[in-house]
Amino acid sequence: MSTNITPAERLRDAGLYAPGDAVLSVRDLNVRFNSENGVVHAVRGVDFDLMPGKTLGIVGESGSGKSVTSMAIMGLLPETADITGSVRFKGKELLGLGDKAMCKHRGNDIAMVFQDPLSSLTPVYTVGTQIIEALTVHNPNMSKQAKEARAVDLLRMVGIPSPKDRLKAFPHEFSGGMRQRVMIAIAIANDPRVLIADEPTTALDVTIQAQVLEVLHTAQEETGAAVVMITHDLGVVAGMADDIMVMYAGKPVETGTVEDIYYNPRMPYTLGLLGAVPRVDTATRQSLVPIEGTPPNLALPVIGCSFAARCPLVSDACLHGEPDLFPVPGAAVPGVEGQRLGHKAACIKSNELSGNADAHKIFHAPPKPVSKFDGVARVEREKVLELKDVKKHFPLLKGALIKRRIGTVKAVDGLSFDIREGECVSIVGESGCGKTTTLLEIMEFHPDQVGEVIIGGVSNKVATDHKTKMAMRKEMQMVFQDPTGALDPRFTVYEVLAEPLENLGMPKAAIKKRIMELMKLVGLQPDHVNRFPNQFSGGQRQRIGIARALAVNPKLVVLDEPVSALDVSVQAGVINLLDKLRAELGLSYLMVAHDLSVVRHISDRVAVMYLGKIVETGDVDDVFDNPRHPYTRALLSAIPVPDPNLERTRERIILQGDLPSPLDAPKGCNFATRCPVFAALPAAKQEKCLTLEPPLASEKEGAQDFACFFPDGELDADMLVVHA
Amino acid sequence: MTNIIDPIAEIDESRVGDQDVVIGKSRIIFRRFMRNRTAVAGLFIFVALFLVSLFGGFLTSWDKDTIDPLNIGMPPSPDHLLGTTQAGIDLLALIVDGTRTSILIGLIVGGLSVLISAVYGCTMAFFGGKVDATMLFILEALIMMPAILVVAVATSGSGGLKDLPSWLLLVVVLLFFSWMGTARLVRSLSMSLMQRDYVKAAKYMGVPSRRIVWRHLVPNIGSLLVLDFTRGITGAILAEVAFSFIGIGIKLPDVSLGVLIGQATGQVSSFPWMFWVPLTVMFLLTGSLAMMNDGLRDAFDPSSSSIGRAKTKTAKKTTK
Repeated sequence: MSTNITPAERLRDAGLYAPGDAVLSVRDLNVRFNSENGVVHAVRGVDFDLMPGKTLGIVGESGSGKSVTSMAIMGLLPETADITGSVRFKGKELLGLGDKAMCKHRGNDIAMVFQDPLSSLTPVYTVGTQIIEALTVHNPNMSKQAKEARAVDLLRMVGIPSPKDRLKAFPHEFSGGMRQRVMIAIAIANDPRVLIADEPTTALDVTIQAQVLEVLHTAQEETGAAVVMITHDLGVVAGMADDIMVMYAGKPVETGTVEDIYYNPRMPYTLGLLGAVPRVDTATRQSLVPIEGTPPNLALPVIGCSFAARCPLVSDACLHGEPDLFPVPGAAVPGVEGQRLGHKAACIKSNELSGNADAHKIFHAPPKPVSKFDGVARVEREKVLELKDVKKHFPLLKGALIKRRIGTVKAVDGLSFDIREGECVSIVGESGCGKTTTLLEIMEFHPDQVGEVIIGGVSNKVATDHKTKMAMRKEMQMVFQDPTGALDPRFTVYEVLAEPLENLGMPKAAIKKRIMELMKLVGLQPDHVNRFPNQFSGGQRQRIGIARALAVNPKLVVLDEPVSALDVSVQAGVINLLDKLRAELGLSYLMVAHDLSVVRHISDRVAVMYLGKIVETGDVDDVFDNPRHPYTRALLSAIPVPDPNLERTRERIILQGDLPSPLDAPKGCNFATRCPVFAALPAAKQEKCLTLEPPLASEKEGAQDFACFFPDGELDADMLVVHA
Repeated sequence: MTNIIDPIAEIDESRVGDQDVVIGKSRIIFRRFMRNRTAVAGLFIFVALFLVSLFGGFLTSWDKDTIDPLNIGMPPSPDHLLGTTQAGIDLLALIVDGTRTSILIGLIVGGLSVLISAVYGCTMAFFGGKVDATMLFILEALIMMPAILVVAVATSGSGGLKDLPSWLLLVVVLLFFSWMGTARLVRSLSMSLMQRDYVKAAKYMGVPSRRIVWRHLVPNIGSLLVLDFTRGITGAILAEVAFSFIGIGIKLPDVSLGVLIGQATGQVSSFPWMFWVPLTVMFLLTGSLAMMNDGLRDAFDPSSSSIGRAKTKTAKKTTK
């Protein structure tokens, strides 16, 4: 319950019991911004202590104030923001310091790794210059040779091959993962005591994410810095963090050790978040936990518990006064070894949520829907889409006046698969493997393509006139990744949904009726049809996008990363909706996704792509539980699992390097350059991988197809990592 | 440039669950504009000048054709608020008339050139390929053409255009030379819009291309066009003043600010009011537009910092 003491008194009291040995202690941090809707109270009282060498994970959805907190610590917020409270670095107050005084600390004592590695390096300077710059600023007396030697050391530490030559490389010569490594190198250049990593891997591929997390781990070990890891992904912090702080609506709602949070959550929000994440390691035939509603508007004062509006356990008592963080009964006393934060939850019902609470029951997760096709054998169902040896090659040209062809980018190289009624097929792989090109080849079908695309029994080879094309288009619709970009900002929802129907020449009255149906179908209020897309939240916008795709009653819906732009809690709702629609309407999905947990949850079949080719395909459970191709194994092992104990003991395959450039694609098996099996093979066997192309075939009847000569080969020990 | 497209996408993107949080786009733009004091002052000055140019005739009993034989070349007096010319014509009446001509030229040229460039640019982006290349070539060729020569030839009456009033002639010529830059901008903006997911979605639905252009492209470059409209007005007014000053723009008996300034330059020391008054009016006119334009940019640009501050006044004092 909130008390009557003034913030100043609170601050003084709080300051008194801050442990003396904390490198960073934050007390009662409040940040306010102005917006068109009034003053937004973005961070409302954050307290934490960071011990040397420890990792604190701050978890929360977008808008929960986690990034703002880190920016406030670094003093990077705009001048217009109002910041109160206390941020102390080794006992020295940082808040209120001017920009100049703050510069002494930034990069020296406290360093930061930002989310987007593509834009955080200056493109006109070499990587070496930028690392040396970070050194020069804080060590003006260091000699040039010493700085260069240190820069080489740093690059080696973050795992960049031949660091000495790479010093002279420009950022564009590095891939995204390499650039993030360079960012980490710059951040740890001056041996900071605190390293703040703000969503350091969100913009990266899973295999690269595993590499970067590994580098962060080494960096922490080498420098002994304390790390603040900000993320929305509960999996990423599970293996790394010692303590977790869950933030909601600008306030920490639960804090504790990793084990406390993951195995014994005492706040319904934490419980919901954990249930909302699909797991890649288990075949759950259960729907996800949806957390309905949206976080409160922080421009208005929060009355009662901030989570009350979305909480299934809400009662009258929750609406009176916002609960403070209280120690969970039975938790160890703060200060005792190994219990740095102490398990605290801001919920008056935390007692009732004992260790074995079932999120599915509490949040009323819907039952797993059953489709009418579930009982029918796959071979008996009709094919809605079939691809036969589809190829898309881009010529690589060079020369100013006369263009010479110097190579071919095989974006899609001989793809064949089919999708039957009522099933969901997913294509997975790193970016650059040709997933999106495949979708484009299907969506932009035309008679002159290499290979055949058969949609609803009609081949692209006969789609020469407008009428046939329209009939094919009607069978297949698309849902886009970015729900904001996919809706015209100037259209009302009605206009958005009416567009495909008008195009079919439907009469006005019928359009109206159909739109009302669609709104109900995707779980939106029908009276919201006159609103504009910007008046909806991200999840609702994606629902509008799905409604638009369903308007013309297609058989197949192509989903391009349908939930990757959404928050975890919202994502669960959209996935459940997709599941429900598939069962009720008998839809088929072709999904492209990089999040393998989502793929495992929603798909029936999966195809793993690497450099334009399918390397493994089959039933999702076969592929995920018993992966045969080394690439699939590496992909799966790279996915973090929201389970700290499992995560710490899991064997992880860290693939070396990035996707090879299509120019020097290997002749035989194209995965050979990064293959952990290949690396461990004797030279005689390696020859086979380098010269012959492995065919896509199954080992026994009914199992998945894969393209590898040595599926049972030993893995190279250097590429395996286990954190004990 | 593309971020002009959707000003409010950034504002309070996330938390819009309840109805009262939603603010109309026009209201946000208006509020942002009003927050820029300079812009509001600019708008005020412009409206005042506009009103004076329309109804200024009532401020004085004289008109620009009547000669007052008793007051020839007299400085400002109660009879003639801004004095008279050496021909004995009331300067206020001349200024009112000149301002009207200048504003008229500005509005027509600014408005029409934006319209032309929008149509031209969208067409280029929409058709692409050879059409685009040809139209772009014409555009580049026009940019290369020496505007000043064309104006001189056209307004000297040698082109058989004698019947048109000189201001209309100037409007036509200015229009001819003012739309190219914006057209190129519109073209590139539309091209990037064509890559948007909602345009792709419409394409995959089988919506015909022409409908995509009219329903999705044109409305979305609206804010750019508004900004370019005010910029176009300023440009046209300045061009008119410059051309008239060197004697190839507006010809007597039509008057404009440029003509007045041009006439008075010879006698700045003997009849200073004749020079300074029209010059001040011209500065007010173009200055107010420039001030307004700054505010409009603030209002339409989502990345502008025109959002006010959260710090209380006392806090502000301590930080400064």
